[in-house]
Amino acid sequence: MSKRAPDVAVLTANRLHDGIVVFLSADGRWVESIEAAAVARSPDEARALQEQGARDAAANLVVEPYLAEVAEAAGRRVPSRMRERVRVDGPSILDDVPGYVRAAAAGVRPLASNIRAPHNPGGEGSDPVSVEAA
Amino acid sequence: MYRYDEFDAQFVRQRVAQFRDQVARRVSGELNEDEFKPLRLRNGVYLQLHAYMLRIAVPYGTLSSRQMRKLAHIARTYDRGYGHFTTRQNLQFNWPRLSDVPDILDELADVEMHAIQTSGNCIRNVTADHFAGATADEVADPRPYAEIIRQWSSLHPEFSFLPRKFKVAVIASEHDRAAMKLHDIGLHLKRLADGGLGFAVWVGGGMGRTPIIAKLIRDDLPEEDLLSYLEAILRVYNLHGRRDNIYKARIKILVDALGLEAFAAEVEEDWQRIRDGALKLPDEEIRRIQAYFAPPAFDERPAAAAAIRVPERAFDRWVVRNTHGHRQPGYAIVTISLKPIGGIPGDASADQMDAIADLAERYSFDEVRVTHEQNLVLPHVRLGDLPEVYRALKAIGLAEANAGLATDIIACPGLDYCALANARSIPIAQRISERLAARQDQIGDLKIKISGCINACGHHHVGHIGILGVEKRGEEHYQLLLGGSGAEDAAIGEISGPGFGPDGIVDAVEKVVQRYLELRTGPEEPFLAAYTRLGDAPFKEALYAA
Repeated sequence: MSKRAPDVAVLTANRLHDGIVVFLSADGRWVESIEAAAVARSPDEARALQEQGARDAAANLVVEPYLAEVAEAAGRRVPSRMRERVRVDGPSILDDVPGYVRAAAAGVRPLASNIRAPHNPGGEGSDPVSVEAA
Repeated sequence: MYRYDEFDAQFVRQRVAQFRDQVARRVSGELNEDEFKPLRLRNGVYLQLHAYMLRIAVPYGTLSSRQMRKLAHIARTYDRGYGHFTTRQNLQFNWPRLSDVPDILDELADVEMHAIQTSGNCIRNVTADHFAGATADEVADPRPYAEIIRQWSSLHPEFSFLPRKFKVAVIASEHDRAAMKLHDIGLHLKRLADGGLGFAVWVGGGMGRTPIIAKLIRDDLPEEDLLSYLEAILRVYNLHGRRDNIYKARIKILVDALGLEAFAAEVEEDWQRIRDGALKLPDEEIRRIQAYFAPPAFDERPAAAAAIRVPERAFDRWVVRNTHGHRQPGYAIVTISLKPIGGIPGDASADQMDAIADLAERYSFDEVRVTHEQNLVLPHVRLGDLPEVYRALKAIGLAEANAGLATDIIACPGLDYCALANARSIPIAQRISERLAARQDQIGDLKIKISGCINACGHHHVGHIGILGVEKRGEEHYQLLLGGSGAEDAAIGEISGPGFGPDGIVDAVEKVVQRYLELRTGPEEPFLAAYTRLGDAPFKEALYAA
């Protein structure tokens, strides 16, 4: 992944306690819908998102926040990379998974869909996606 | 099956308690991600694209019914109703919450399972021939040796921080069903010249970014020297293996850089110092472990062949493709294909796991095996019970008669789940399966293997037809490889030429298969033999000629 800040981007991460994909919203919450994400349209706005992400990572709300480039078309945000589109849409094959039960019906405790990000100044910046060796 | 002794049980419970504390400290913020990540990885917890993933060890691919039922229970209770059997004979859950993982590990400990050393730079779960202890063509059951290696390597203090992960496979037949030569160490149990059991030891194999076939370092290792020799290899690797570059850290790179002769000389020197020490395997200890793997109480009255005749062609096809000769007359080894046409390779629902556990309990002395080809096996089925087993599998959608055929595809989780992946693997496998299903019997033996990135979890390098997903300008792209093999004739496939898009790769596979059908000498010449005879030219012509 390029480390150059994309022109139009959202900040995304995985939620700490369950790993679910989340996006930083304009009011500083981490939400599951990319449509509710804050969009950075300038380097300064991107930097501000990254700084908030770093603070929230340091506050143990999310893991490894990074900017994902998006295109805006017909009122929707579509990530530029296939990888990010899969993160937004979920696995493309779920309809074919034997026995797949959606989270809401899976018998697991309901997930907190939004986490309020506490203000935590002084957090360090974080690297873009870091992956784990298989 | 091996049963935990008091030490095993205590060690696993202690490890769960430790991890429970570590998770609590992570969630409370006492540990940050940098501090926590190595701890969770050592307990099999990855963070993937959509959620955490828990990889559970299935030592040498052997499960009891009780263990399989526990996996089904975990799938239902803590995950989303299914699990994924992997090319390392393990099981992965794709959606566990971090805060639930300690409870899951406690549940696993109840049935003598864990997720220790399923990740990290340590000796990973030891794999073995999935027909071990049942097949007619082995010299002895290789699993006792895999279990001895498991005990030696679990939390081995010297090998907990290796340069990179380390994988060992054990077989005991001339026919390699475990891709033994693609492991850091491959062990082939055989009869030595003196009539005793011993090992051919292969070292430095692997796939990933730099695929290499293992080299034979010793052809005559007595069984009593197994651990001391492995220890010597690991010590040389631990000392000289590169730690400055993750892509050059595996033992295959070291063996290649030093040369086999120099590497072997270092191993020999170290081994001579330790071979008569504490690691010498006493005969009684080998026999003690072997006793856990004693053959079940087979029915000594073989069923008449007529007993298994069922007036259904589909059943006959299934018997031909999905059963294998058993060493015990009157029995068969049954492969349960987890590759329904158009399905997801290796996935099984909780209900299917429960049903398979029932079948194992009723018809296979309580045993199930996981294969590196992402199928399951009932190792000990009476011939007379085959119709009943077939009917039961049909009822749960797992009676596809395709073991070893073109639709029996290995596919890694790929970009649908994996944070490392560059492209999706599963949908490509599904489309190829659908495309070739009608002709799979005509095509015959053909191994198609798909990886979503260069790490090669889908074994694309050793597919007769291999597919590697890459990213090209942010989109999925696929390279085609031809002529690989993970069996005793191990070979690394060659890239055919320019790659293809997601639709084009399915067409490309079909063109290769079509050209094979046109050029083979007859149905008796399988794809790999035809490719070896013909070379790549006719296949490239089929793929790229205007």
